[in-house]
Amino acid sequence: MTLTTIWLLPMIGAALIAFMPARFAKWMGVVVALAALAVAADVAFSFAPGYHGYQFTEAAPWIPQLTIFYRLGVDGISLWLVVLNAFLTVIAILATPIKTRNVSRFVALMLAMSAGLAGVFMATDLVLFYVFWEAMLIPAYFLLWIFGEGERPDRAALKFVLYTLAGSLLMLVGVIGEYVATGKQTFDLATLATLAPSPSIQFALFFVFALAFAIKTPLFPFHSWLPDAYMAAPTPMLITFAGVMGKAGAYGFLRIAVPLFPQPVDWWDWRWVIPVLAVAAIIWGALMAIASRDMKLLVAYSSVSHMGFIVLGIFALNVQGQQGAVLQMINHGIIIAALFLIVAWISDRAGTRDRSAMAGLAARMPVMAGIFFVVTLAALGLPGLNSFVGEFMTLLGAWQRAPVLALFGAIGLVLAPVYMLRLFQGTMQGAPAGPVPRSDIYAGQLVLLAPLIVLMFAIGLDPNVLTNLMTSLGQVGLAR
Amino acid sequence: MIPAPDLTYSWAQALADLGQIAAIATLTGFFLFAIVTDLVLPKPRRGGAVAIVAVTGFTYSLGTAVYRWRFAQGGYAYHQFATGDNFALFFEILFATLGILTVALSHSYLKKRGMLESEFHILIMAAVIGMMVLGSATSLVTVFLGLELLSIALYIACGFSRRESRSQEAAAKYLLVGGFASAFVLYGMALIYGGAGTTVIPEIAKRLDASAAGNPLILLGIVLMGVGFAFKVSAAPFHMWTPDVYQGAPLPVTAFMSVGTKAAAFAMIVRVFAGGLPHLAPEWQALLAFVAAASMVVGNLMAIAQSSLKRLLAYSGVAQAGYILIGVIAGGQSGLAAVLYYLFVYMFMNFGAFAVITLLAGADGDRDRFDDLQGLAKRSPLMAVLMSVFMLSLAGFPPSVGFFGKLFLFTAGVSAGYTWLVVLAVVMSVVSVFYYVRVLIPVWSSSTRTDRLPASISSSAVIWLSGLAAVGLGIYPTTLLIAGQLGATPISGP
Repeated sequence: MTLTTIWLLPMIGAALIAFMPARFAKWMGVVVALAALAVAADVAFSFAPGYHGYQFTEAAPWIPQLTIFYRLGVDGISLWLVVLNAFLTVIAILATPIKTRNVSRFVALMLAMSAGLAGVFMATDLVLFYVFWEAMLIPAYFLLWIFGEGERPDRAALKFVLYTLAGSLLMLVGVIGEYVATGKQTFDLATLATLAPSPSIQFALFFVFALAFAIKTPLFPFHSWLPDAYMAAPTPMLITFAGVMGKAGAYGFLRIAVPLFPQPVDWWDWRWVIPVLAVAAIIWGALMAIASRDMKLLVAYSSVSHMGFIVLGIFALNVQGQQGAVLQMINHGIIIAALFLIVAWISDRAGTRDRSAMAGLAARMPVMAGIFFVVTLAALGLPGLNSFVGEFMTLLGAWQRAPVLALFGAIGLVLAPVYMLRLFQGTMQGAPAGPVPRSDIYAGQLVLLAPLIVLMFAIGLDPNVLTNLMTSLGQVGLAR
Repeated sequence: MIPAPDLTYSWAQALADLGQIAAIATLTGFFLFAIVTDLVLPKPRRGGAVAIVAVTGFTYSLGTAVYRWRFAQGGYAYHQFATGDNFALFFEILFATLGILTVALSHSYLKKRGMLESEFHILIMAAVIGMMVLGSATSLVTVFLGLELLSIALYIACGFSRRESRSQEAAAKYLLVGGFASAFVLYGMALIYGGAGTTVIPEIAKRLDASAAGNPLILLGIVLMGVGFAFKVSAAPFHMWTPDVYQGAPLPVTAFMSVGTKAAAFAMIVRVFAGGLPHLAPEWQALLAFVAAASMVVGNLMAIAQSSLKRLLAYSGVAQAGYILIGVIAGGQSGLAAVLYYLFVYMFMNFGAFAVITLLAGADGDRDRFDDLQGLAKRSPLMAVLMSVFMLSLAGFPPSVGFFGKLFLFTAGVSAGYTWLVVLAVVMSVVSVFYYVRVLIPVWSSSTRTDRLPASISSSAVIWLSGLAAVGLGIYPTTLLIAGQLGATPISGP
């Protein structure tokens, strides 16, 4: 029941908070999210490293006619994503301005989305996974559309939903196809990983699953929904939307696409196709980030680049790469949340998101500049901060697989300082010009960022706390 | 050689036969009672009284069907002209529920629009009896009887808004097209009868074996019946009447027929094709596969361009017919169980959607433009939530029933080797999300309208029940799916 609590608690909270008066909504939301975080943390503390199989498993027959089970479980991969999701949900709801219009609905939708994400990471039955995967789209759509910013949030929301659905509905055919093709009539992920259908069927199934995950991640060239959606998304939503939901796609690759379809067909070897696309995403995202003047857009494109590293690590198909990928999922979640928050606060004070319109803000808001500097260093992968370890491990894994992948991937490492430092220097340093910010960072905002910054240092200095538990894998087919 | 008919008929046999069609008989009794009530009561009190009689009749009929499902042995009645098997009972339960929903929804609507009430309810009862007959028919003659009973009642109901020319147009159009469809069905039946020498469906199944596929007249009979059936389920390319009729007919009638006619026609297809022509399956499966593909493409693409909610739901109904046909084509117990499950839950999601639109109606007419939904979230937040549930369910989002219905249909389709049809269905489902979600835009957009949405207790209850079913039967689909499997057993075998 422990794992059920992690998703059911926010779900029930969402249903109640939706109809609460505005002034209670935010704090009730925080309480619910904290409770879910506490349960998730409890799971992490009593988690056994090195155990082969899912832990905290729950299984109950759901639709016996099709042998669909309600199966939950966590292993070293999903555990940290569950914790990250619970943690960032707390931050996101704390970051919600209490004056948001219809704040109770906003908080309720945020909790519902978080519940869906938790379910995705914990489901070990393919149909249950799919149910959560699709269900989390509903709150995401409403959040983007009703609370979105910019000219046409409705269009961005619809684009996001249709893109995602185009992939995920085809995945439904894959789910059914896997059920039929293995001939064992089961949706249990751990069992399915031991039953591989014939290579040609694997190819078709991998294709539909990978398409869904590639769109969600997003992987080049399926990323075109992302700039629109991230630009439209309100900042508190972005914390979980960019911080966690993007990871669901990468998690899908790692949990389903790689272990379930281990044999490629000769004429179209995805073990090479996907890494090449990942490298393309790393470079393309970085170049687009360099070219962006809008700060929010810049961060959005940097996210495409970073997700490329994660996918590259997964498809290194070795321990370093995959552990690095999971570590990087966590790191990126923390960094992107901090970046989006800081960018939103700066543009809120400066009155514009155009980075070329402002300069020398550090003189007016020194504390903000200091924090921003730390986050910038984390984002560009400075040793001692969290992102370095993850990127290093993914590139090490890629090198072992094929040095050329690592070499091209490393271009992203070179480009990251270009766009990150240009953003920081351009806006913060130099002679003050452009709009005059109203104030420095508020104390409340500082408190909000503090846990993120602490985690950046903590993971950077001792990543073994995370990687130790990653030795427990729930199923075969992953590099051990 | 046709055996001489057995003309001995005992009282015991008569009672047993009546038992097999007990739900239909019960409803027919209440139907006659409703007519008498309408005649004897003074005018102002007729409407409400007949509504009560109708709801009571439906409830008794429902209870009878449920009782027989639990405790009675299904079997043939009236020399195999009808049956009370689980398949029949499943549809009797479905149609009785639909009848209750329709009467409960239309009571306040009819009053608001100043329409004749008692006649309306009586017509609905007649149509439901026709649908139930279709569900339990095991002879081509009975099939046609049910088909006409249902159709004629609905021809009149469509034109029930007597001052509206559009309603009259709908009735006339439905009458003409429906007459055509009936003629097609009848012609096809005649050809099948010519080949088999009997109208009794289980007998046809025995006499027409695979060698009949070489007989062009039999094939023509299948095609003609298929065309007529496609008209009735409003499947492309025989769907042209659907948007016009749905738009013109008064809303409760549209809601009723969008679910009832479709379910009844599917019962007919399954009875005649799967039940009567199992050896000719490759032939009718090819025909239905074409119809299914066309329906999914045409229905989903045309729905995008609609600005009237009724027309949009009409085209959505065309597309949904395509999805359900996949289950019929796949056949077997899992395929037919998926069809039965989907038809049952389709009742709640589609009827619910129409019911919300019904609330918007004014005294002068139905309001079914997108703009009329504007500000629904302000006017009645709960109705806005429920409307979202219905739309997302129709679009097939989990954890609603729409998703699980599709999951069962598609699983059956892939298992039976119709992967291409399932892939097409999935691609078109993506398209469908576009227009279903478009309906929600006015619902949740900010608006200056803040007046409360008037909703009578009975209509609210209908919508609430539909909404709870649309989610509840999704989160816990097992019982209904077991019922679907039991219902499919008489035709597919265990």
